[in-house]
Amino acid sequence: MIQFSAVAKRYPTGYEALRDVSFEVAEGELVVVTGHSGAGKSTLLKLAAGIERATRGSVIVNGQNLSSLGETALAVLRRHIGFVFQDHKLLFDRSAGENVALPLRIAGTASDETGRRVRAALDKVGLLAREKALPITLSGGEQQRLCIARAIVNRPAILVADEPTGNLDAESSRSILELFLSFHRVGVTVLLSTHDESSLALLGGRRLALRGGLVESADRAGEAVPG
Amino acid sequence: MNAWIRTHRHALADALRRLAAQPGASLVAVFVIAIAVAIPVLGVALVRSVDAAVGGLDTDPHVNVFLTLDATEDDAKRVEAALRAHPQSAAVKFVPRAKALEELKATTHLAELLANLERNPLPHAFTVRTRTADPAQLAAVRTAWLQLPRVEQVSAEFEWAEKLGRWTRFAGRALAGGALLLALAVLFIVGHLIRLQVVTRREEIEVSQLIGATAGDVRRPFLYHGALQGLAAGGCALALAAGLIVWLNAELSALTSSYAYEFKIVFLDSSTLLAVLLGTALLGWVGAWISVSRELRRFAGRS
Repeated sequence: MIQFSAVAKRYPTGYEALRDVSFEVAEGELVVVTGHSGAGKSTLLKLAAGIERATRGSVIVNGQNLSSLGETALAVLRRHIGFVFQDHKLLFDRSAGENVALPLRIAGTASDETGRRVRAALDKVGLLAREKALPITLSGGEQQRLCIARAIVNRPAILVADEPTGNLDAESSRSILELFLSFHRVGVTVLLSTHDESSLALLGGRRLALRGGLVESADRAGEAVPG
Repeated sequence: MNAWIRTHRHALADALRRLAAQPGASLVAVFVIAIAVAIPVLGVALVRSVDAAVGGLDTDPHVNVFLTLDATEDDAKRVEAALRAHPQSAAVKFVPRAKALEELKATTHLAELLANLERNPLPHAFTVRTRTADPAQLAAVRTAWLQLPRVEQVSAEFEWAEKLGRWTRFAGRALAGGALLLALAVLFIVGHLIRLQVVTRREEIEVSQLIGATAGDVRRPFLYHGALQGLAAGGCALALAAGLIVWLNAELSALTSSYAYEFKIVFLDSSTLLAVLLGTALLGWVGAWISVSRELRRFAGRS
């Protein structure tokens, strides 16, 4: 489902975030990307979600080589990959419901269908009662849940999450990770980064460890650690 | 309803919501653009009115030949033969004195005065279409025809009308140039206003792009915003110009009532009105397109 072949990413500033990274994620797999700050986790996830483009090598998602896609096609592909941002990227002047509805509005989904899906997504993350609330009134954990609701509202086959428990307390972290596990159990491919050992223990899944932009170690397919 | 129509409907609704959210700023913006559009609209109405007035005048090269008051019909026939024989003469029309008097009564306010005259004060006359409009050649023609017996006066009065026509054509061109400059000003104004909107909504744009919005998706509500602003400004400009024309016509009516020809500024026809509305909407659309595209490139450069 996701295939990286000798991928490198150098930013315009000259910083090389990834160097010669190769790995594969099969459909329905849960892969946890680990590594210290600056190891290249966020860059790897952005490349997998089509948010960034590789400088060298190829990134293939759902059989499509992202390097060969134009800007418009890449944007359309992003609609089918749910991305949970570390800093949430919520719109603070819009209600929780409106934030979740944004991907559906972009895709031109009908209003009644949008309403149904938004409520279903909010219900899934336990925020249905906060549909009209502004994000500023939500706790950190609730904001992260809202971000997850926005990521799943388009029913993506792939869910990518960048440090989804980064700034949360232990209890909130646990409930967020359980959400990802529930998506994984229903067949969603999950690619998630963390540097938190307790998260690793809870999630299980296959590990991909990065260091200095290179793959330090990787479980082979079928070597997933039970969660 | 398919997704394409829904995205456009959403964009239109979003643009209307943004315009309504800042009614004061929206009205000022529309009014500023309307003033820039109203100037050439008024100019076009004025030039077209003058052009129409000039069009009613005879601007073909012709010379009027007036006989003496005592010239008889036989004298007129002899003069006509001489005029027709002249190499610069293309067509000769005889205007008998009686017919000239009738026309004068019909086309001026002097009918009552003329009816009280004991005898017809007008002479037999000829209108001769000439093959040339060259002033030197016309002067030679005039000299030659003045030598004919019973010819009192030879005049080439079409020249002023022709000059007026040239002036209106010049004014038309000057107006087109001015309109082009003002169109550029409208593009700049709309572009600037849209740029402010884009900068204000930068966060929303960036989030939208991250979750799958194409450049077209981002651009669309701003294009509707620009087009709606242009359309409203076009309508406002037409209303302004129409009001000014009514006001000016009131003065013109009083000014020209003592002349044989009453001049008034005629407002634009329906097809031109439609063209102005569509044109301003298009200018708004293009201004928004340029502005949003430039800002998106800047965002991409910074990220």
